[in-house]
Amino acid sequence: MRKPYQICLPILLVCLIPAVASAQAPGSQGGGSFRVQCPTATLLHPGGTGTGNSTPASAEAAYSGPITRTAATDPSGRYTYNPPLTFTDNGGAIKCQQVSGGDGMMTEADGNQTYMFSFGPLSGLQAIQNGQAGTQLPAVFNKSYCDPANANYLSGQPNPYSPCDPSTTDPNGAVGYVTPTATNPSPGADAAAIMNTGVLNGNIPAPLMAFDEDDEFFLTLTNVGMIMRPDLFEQHTVHFHGYPNASSFYDGVPDASLAINIGGSFTYYYLAPDAGTYFWHCHITPPEHLQMGMVGQLYVRPRQNRTPAGTDVYQTSLLQQNDLRTACHPGLPAAGQPGPDILCSAPLPAVHPGFLNATGYKYVYNDGDGSTRYDVDVPIQIHGFDPNFHFVGMTFNPEGFADMKDKYFLLNGRSYPDTVGVAGGPADVLGQLATATNPDPATHAISTADTDTLSRPSQPLPTLITLSASGGPAGTCGTATTCGQRAALRIADLDVQEYQTLSSVGIPMLLVGFNAKILRDEAGNNLYIKTNSITLGGGESLDVILDSTGVAPGTYFLYTPQLDHLSNDAENFGGLMTEVVVTP
Amino acid sequence: MSHMNTKTWCAVSRFFSVVAVALLLVASAHAAAPGITGTSFSLNAGTGYSSQPDGMLIYSWGYGCATGFTPTYAPAQFASLGFCPTMQLPGPTLIVTEGIPFTVTLTNSLPAPAGNTSILFPGATVTFSGGVQGLLTQEAMQTTPVTYTVTYAAPGTHEYYSGTQPDLQIEMGLFGAVVVRPAHPVGTSASAPNCTTTEPGREDFRLASSAYDHPLTCYDREYLFQWSEIDPKIHKQAEDQIKLIQSCPANTALQFSCPTTLNVVTEPYHPNYFLINGRSMPDNMDADYAPNYPNQPYNANPHMHPGELVLVRYMGQGHWQHPFHEHGNHVRILGRDGNLLLSQTGTDPRLLAGRMEFNTDVTPGQADEGIFYWSGKGLGWDIFGHTSTNVGNLPCNPDVNGFYTQTSGATIPTYSGGLFVSGSQNYYEWCADHNHSLEGNPVGQVGGGGPMTLPDPLIMTNGLWYNGTPYLGPDAVLRSRGPSPLPPGSPSQNPTPESGIAFMWHSHNEREITTNDVFPGGMLMMMLVDPYVWNIDETL
Repeated sequence: MRKPYQICLPILLVCLIPAVASAQAPGSQGGGSFRVQCPTATLLHPGGTGTGNSTPASAEAAYSGPITRTAATDPSGRYTYNPPLTFTDNGGAIKCQQVSGGDGMMTEADGNQTYMFSFGPLSGLQAIQNGQAGTQLPAVFNKSYCDPANANYLSGQPNPYSPCDPSTTDPNGAVGYVTPTATNPSPGADAAAIMNTGVLNGNIPAPLMAFDEDDEFFLTLTNVGMIMRPDLFEQHTVHFHGYPNASSFYDGVPDASLAINIGGSFTYYYLAPDAGTYFWHCHITPPEHLQMGMVGQLYVRPRQNRTPAGTDVYQTSLLQQNDLRTACHPGLPAAGQPGPDILCSAPLPAVHPGFLNATGYKYVYNDGDGSTRYDVDVPIQIHGFDPNFHFVGMTFNPEGFADMKDKYFLLNGRSYPDTVGVAGGPADVLGQLATATNPDPATHAISTADTDTLSRPSQPLPTLITLSASGGPAGTCGTATTCGQRAALRIADLDVQEYQTLSSVGIPMLLVGFNAKILRDEAGNNLYIKTNSITLGGGESLDVILDSTGVAPGTYFLYTPQLDHLSNDAENFGGLMTEVVVTP
Repeated sequence: MSHMNTKTWCAVSRFFSVVAVALLLVASAHAAAPGITGTSFSLNAGTGYSSQPDGMLIYSWGYGCATGFTPTYAPAQFASLGFCPTMQLPGPTLIVTEGIPFTVTLTNSLPAPAGNTSILFPGATVTFSGGVQGLLTQEAMQTTPVTYTVTYAAPGTHEYYSGTQPDLQIEMGLFGAVVVRPAHPVGTSASAPNCTTTEPGREDFRLASSAYDHPLTCYDREYLFQWSEIDPKIHKQAEDQIKLIQSCPANTALQFSCPTTLNVVTEPYHPNYFLINGRSMPDNMDADYAPNYPNQPYNANPHMHPGELVLVRYMGQGHWQHPFHEHGNHVRILGRDGNLLLSQTGTDPRLLAGRMEFNTDVTPGQADEGIFYWSGKGLGWDIFGHTSTNVGNLPCNPDVNGFYTQTSGATIPTYSGGLFVSGSQNYYEWCADHNHSLEGNPVGQVGGGGPMTLPDPLIMTNGLWYNGTPYLGPDAVLRSRGPSPLPPGSPSQNPTPESGIAFMWHSHNEREITTNDVFPGGMLMMMLVDPYVWNIDETL
């Protein structure tokens, strides 16, 4: 007979594992299996003097190059390190976001309402409805969601925080966050708030994410289930597509990692990598979940944006050579030394004209020469919906992959004319929307009625691009006397079937980046391409700059020359098209 | 996967049974870029069947070795494993050398209604003897072989394929690859240290030490991926018509004349099978020359150690372009159709000018190479799960690039008999994150104070390749979660002695990772980054 401890010990160990695993770090709030995580200080971003950013929970700081720092304890003081840990500190901040994984409905340009598997916002709700990224600093994220303009959750249930106290609530705060009090320091997450908001709140594209190089990004995926498909026990994941040197744990491939079940939350952790245009999507059964709509935009802003005003941006590029993560060590391999980084992301420019940064300047990459400076961010996601697949997906039947055929071609989840979707807006050349209230006149978000009869914002992002031909900063356009605004088109293709081409009629495109890397060779030559069309396969991204300098005021078009993609199912004029309005 | 019909269940259960069998034999299969080498090849164009994971056997044509021809297999480790049937999909990979002419004698064993066949060698200088003149090149009749004398002036990766009725014959499977080794590969000289990183005792499966005659093209490991599709309707038509024609004389009593040639409709093109190296997932992750694929000898199953420079040779052999998404990191494109892409001006025109891409377009008729590596650089946490306080904690001293390598005091791993003997287990660790905890609270022998509270494992679903922890290597896995298996079983494709981290490499036109309505399938493979304590034997 076996001794009792031989039997009991494994049982005891099994019992201990969840207890150990669910012990929480500071900044983590659990509520049942729902949990949001957004620490205000971390080992990398402890804050205070002597660090790269003294206030990482509330602001970014200027980039001054890497500093080497040591820590003998973690920020909470609970753990000590002997010898102390060493950090290469490049500044950056802490950023947080929460999304739901579930389902929802969207509206096609021909009026057809389409069922989706989808992600929806569970933080930054107001920002996302306004077409902005939902990524927040802890100072905003760590407040309970409450919108003064809306006393109810999306389900119609009253929000108990209403009217909203700005000291503890925020319309961009995390849904489910409960402010700790002296008597209840660990209140847990509010599961009711999450379900009342997250069910059926799917967006296409999925919530926009944007943060800065060197940020720590805490992304919580909360699986609220797909209420329209109670037969499914579907997990969801987040794949940060293109993350360099990824871990498989946070890569979102369910076969190689783990995936969150319905009723739980999983927080992904990323140290924001090289600047560039990435995107994100669910990686469960990709041909199904991507087709059904679980695809979102994501971009990382470069360190160069944090260059102090009046400083040559080349200095930022030089400083990056002091950080081993971004140093290139260009040249042929030297005797006795490891070779150059063949995948170095921040090569120095061969020519640097002395481009001085100014407050508010934005760049697509750490270019060192100012060549990717722009004024207007335009995230554009190309996608396609097969209405048959979506219909079958709503009706408890297995969808067929072999005969999948997209009939709707979408820019940010909309086909033309909804792509310009500004109710009554001046660019509404067809006049169809002159008196419309959907899209919302203020936020421009298209809302769709769900099966519970309530209408939720489903497609927040128009792709109407408005540029002022005289609104660019002086001295940034070569020999021209009047500089126009420049738009950075951050284009990603998440279509699951076909390659897609987008052409620009009238305004040349300058292709400056591809797959989240600046187009530059190892010797520092810019390999930008001046073109009028770009082509992407599924899973590809690129960066195009549209420069309105010298462009006559008027309405121009971005459209696909793949003519069968200029349709909205049976409507034969629509699809992949949008407008660029150049004002004087 | 979400909801399954009967077909899906069959495929999935078949997938798991394949997995189980694979597990019984070896922990996991690996790949390399195997082929046949020499200066004289006798190839045959013949008929056969390809095996697909949904149970279908699809009638195909392919190049193989002519009867009586005894090829030399490369890399040398495949000498006793390799086989070369008279028809295979894709055709034998020809491994040759820059500037050295080689001959390919092609025998046409296709059924007579298929007509002539031939081989085009784009990018090479070709002369021929024998055969008959065709539109694009000299062709082999069923009775008359043709001999091509082929010279590639530069190293690189190329395709070969039929130049006769290409829309039918290439679809049927008449294609293959040529690897042209540099005549002057960058060797082990001190000027090119990347070429010397092969660990002592580790088996070297490379076809050369560098892809081109250039020190920035050195590599440690290589894989070749040929992408193609199958529209089964075309194959069925060809098979049916050939049977009809061949049986036609028996029907002479009927009042019609027998057809003698094929009339296969190849459009509209609607492929349902999506192949890498002639196999669909999961078959492509079985071993090279696995006996259960008598006509599909090549697999697609990349493995690598951290920091190893991995040469990826890829080409489109079908009708469609495919966006090949490499999870884990970017790929630096080296060259296209045997042309190394170098800077034209700037600080040093000898430097690389190919793009860095996380999606590499695989284009029909085009062959490219890129170099990939995975290092964990910039994660912000120690993927080996080290703590600063553990007794016996491994050191990590950064070299000029920030990694723990021989130049900064690490001991190069050594192997014997396929087993790790000695050396730094954390060779090529990214030292800036050394000892930095991921987890907020200590778990086992993994330290706390990090940014994350990991979820309760009971509310998560685990994958077949998930080692049960965020960490790399059996040491870290054991320290983190102990020896108990993961519910409901174990990471069967990535068992404890391996404990790698897995990434999916696949077509991102996601419909193509299905096999005729079934997910998973098609153009999908799992890439594993293995710890240095795991010897990567590409023949298994």
